Amino acid sequence: MGLTISDKVLTVHAIDRHESDSVLRVGIDALLGHDATISLLIDRFERLGLSIWDPKRVIFTNDHFSPPADAERADISARFLAFSRRLRLNHLLIDKGICHQLLVEHELCQPGSLIVGADSHTIMAGALGVCATGMGSTDILFALATGTTWMRVPETIKITFRGLLPNACNGRDVVLQLLSLLGEHEARYRTLELHDESQSKLLQDERFAISNMAVEMGAKFGIFVPDEITVEYCTKRDGVSPTALTLPDVDARYEREIDVDLTTLRPLVAKPWSPANVTPVDELERTPITTAFLGSCASGRLADIRVAAEIMAGKKVNERVRFVVIPASIEVFKQALKLGYVEVLTEAGAVFNQSSCGPCGGIDKGVLGSQDVCVSTSNRNFRGRMGHWDSATYLASARTVATAALRGYVGEMA
Amino acid sequence: MKQLSGRAWVFGDDINTDVIHPPQFFSLDPAIVRRGLFNGLDPELQGRLEPGDIVVAGRNFGCGSSRETSIQSLQLNQIGAVVAVDFARIFFRNATNNALPCVNFADPADRKKIHAGQRIELCFDEWTLCTDAGDRVDLDPAGSFVRSVWEAGGLLQLLGTGSST
Repeated sequence: MGLTISDKVLTVHAIDRHESDSVLRVGIDALLGHDATISLLIDRFERLGLSIWDPKRVIFTNDHFSPPADAERADISARFLAFSRRLRLNHLLIDKGICHQLLVEHELCQPGSLIVGADSHTIMAGALGVCATGMGSTDILFALATGTTWMRVPETIKITFRGLLPNACNGRDVVLQLLSLLGEHEARYRTLELHDESQSKLLQDERFAISNMAVEMGAKFGIFVPDEITVEYCTKRDGVSPTALTLPDVDARYEREIDVDLTTLRPLVAKPWSPANVTPVDELERTPITTAFLGSCASGRLADIRVAAEIMAGKKVNERVRFVVIPASIEVFKQALKLGYVEVLTEAGAVFNQSSCGPCGGIDKGVLGSQDVCVSTSNRNFRGRMGHWDSATYLASARTVATAALRGYVGEMA
Repeated sequence: MKQLSGRAWVFGDDINTDVIHPPQFFSLDPAIVRRGLFNGLDPELQGRLEPGDIVVAGRNFGCGSSRETSIQSLQLNQIGAVVAVDFARIFFRNATNNALPCVNFADPADRKKIHAGQRIELCFDEWTLCTDAGDRVDLDPAGSFVRSVWEAGGLLQLLGTGSST
């Protein structure tokens, strides 16, 4: 039997195996961290007198508190930055955007590499054929000091996309469709290996959205089989093409195989309070909203901002709605500026915030109050996550979010 | 660690980390982190916890964010263990790394035998859970790597011990 992508990547990175378990010690290629979760390990790292394994292979950014909204978070931010400077990291990216977007914009993020990050959405780099996964602060402390971590080789579920993605849909609708099939748990501990056999091929930005939310199904890795789209993206980014692509064997062993025909896909939303609580948007009853949010690591990329600008051009955001837009990184923001999308959206009444996590984790400007109903491109609509326990969030694509911002409601939107 | 006993706090499926520990309680101040446990679900719950209490849940406990404040909050409230049908990957790693035992029911149907407020006892020699109603259910024995981390007192105790762990 042949091997899947994660079988191969973990085998190549294995250092040794725990005596009586299926647990491997693996060497990592890169490590990602941000202000919030790294702040939880600083005291322990310094108390143990540890030093960093390789400052050239670590990317840190402040994305949760950028800039900080209150005094405690300002202190956390300052501690994080001081610690990062003491480590003499080569890649300390300050106020440059959301860590997951910065990782995929970085040449450390190569197909076939093994990357860990101090945040669950690290999995997003899988969209470039990377085995990338999120961990907590203690795991990351260990990896930061040793360049190693412990992993089991996961089972793999093969997902094959076929057909042609309708114009009304994007990667968010694709991943919501997967969530409706697999729920919040059926990919638990597993690799989702994503094969794009669709006619037009999914854009790289759509692939990021899909890999990002693989973790909402419980996945450890969400890996697109690298292809010409991957090579084109990496070549444009790095100036050279990737040295090698790790591909699955033709006879790879999969726990399960699922075909998804994109041709019949319709725009979807996830209702409160689960990303797997999915329904077609035109079957949702008309639901008035107070807030629309286009941002987060799940979306907030150029393709998302472009579609919002196209929908909003010459129109106005509904007077009862606050429409917050947060580009996933400063690089995305600069491109959106250059292409005129920022002006179009600002004229329409959208509010741009600094590239950061924003209200997604209930952290920063745009958090929801008890009466707020939000339609959002973020990745989680867990109860209380975006603010008040009684607030409600519907997850959807940038197209659905922008349309709802104009109309003042979500649902009944064919 | 041979056994633990405490009162059971019973939860359902897919309890995510934003519910376990809402993001507004993210802090470096242990008093704030402690207070946040299950605060959205029931703001009074945290004040009623007693040292050694045990969380019992359905499938996929701890899905969502990697924020280790959810584990810190369970430990600051002296929760002794979590028993569930199964756990989300990152939560399970975080708990194990901090030597908070997460244990699976051998038979998922057995979760129905545990009721809120019951006194329960976990035996790690026999991998059983006993209730004060006389029920006795089997638990999945933890793997040897996980046990080695518990016994060491957490992952950081393994730093520098290389592959011998």
